[in-house]
Amino acid sequence: MNAAIRITVNGLPENVPLSATLAELIILFQEMDRDLIVEHNGRFVFPQGYASTRVAPNDRVEFIHPNFGG
Amino acid sequence: MLTEEEARRYSRQIALPEIGVEGQLRLAAGRVMVAGLGGLGSIAAYYLAAAGVGYLKLIDRDRVTLENLNRQILHTTFDLERPKPESAAEKVGRLNPHCRIEAVHTTIEEGNAAALLADCAVIFDATDNREARQVLNRASLQRHVPFVFGGISGWEGMASTFIPGSSACFSCLFPPQAETTEPAPPPVLGPIAGIVASIQCLETFRLLIGALPQLAGRLLRFSGLTMEFRTLQIDRNPGCPVCGDPQCYSTP
Repeated sequence: MNAAIRITVNGLPENVPLSATLAELIILFQEMDRDLIVEHNGRFVFPQGYASTRVAPNDRVEFIHPNFGG
Repeated sequence: MLTEEEARRYSRQIALPEIGVEGQLRLAAGRVMVAGLGGLGSIAAYYLAAAGVGYLKLIDRDRVTLENLNRQILHTTFDLERPKPESAAEKVGRLNPHCRIEAVHTTIEEGNAAALLADCAVIFDATDNREARQVLNRASLQRHVPFVFGGISGWEGMASTFIPGSSACFSCLFPPQAETTEPAPPPVLGPIAGIVASIQCLETFRLLIGALPQLAGRLLRFSGLTMEFRTLQIDRNPGCPVCGDPQCYSTP
């Protein structure tokens, strides 16, 4: 078992593996919406950055689902 | 020049220093394509016409159904089965006879979007699906027309403004994907449509009067569960396959 760190996901405290990438967190939290928007510490992350962006202790991650109704 | 009737009709907004008579004349010269006449489009058509926007192209492919009436306040029980553009044009025409209206009962698609947009200065997105927005986005870039995006589902909504060549575009945020089946329509509440479309109306006014849009490069989100507004900065995606392609800015 890898060491865990505490981060905030969608406003709630969560323990996740040390150095997890956003791509891994998307799978871990089952957020595989094809139009998912990911906010990391207040910044929008492009999809091509999911695999290379790693979280650190106390980071804040928001998984935002699009609203496409009208 | 405003007529005496117009000066009175719009007096409460002409009193705003940011609008004034000059801004009002700009609204009167404004041409807006309202894409979709459902929950968002109902608010758009009413507020844009009421404020004196001179020309509205009201587009929708649907007819009024009973399921629409919990939120689409442009249409009434007497309008069931009527094409939405026809129903909308009637209400808006009664509200403000100064507003020139073109009602278009059609599906906005790749083949007609740029032509529909040709004579408009702003795209007011009131569609109800992602593919229509991808089409509007490409037309926006091709014609250099700002695209005021809004979307709702459940208790939530979001809005942003895409300025061709300068801010992020819709596809920077939601990259185009291989065609998949459209999801079932989400649950929707009238006031959420009202909030989001009202914000889009304010952005549209800003664009028409020559003020800087406030939501270019930002995604505004509202939750009716927490009663919170939040914004997220959205930069242009250097890897965007749509606005990153120089050919998207020219007419094919």
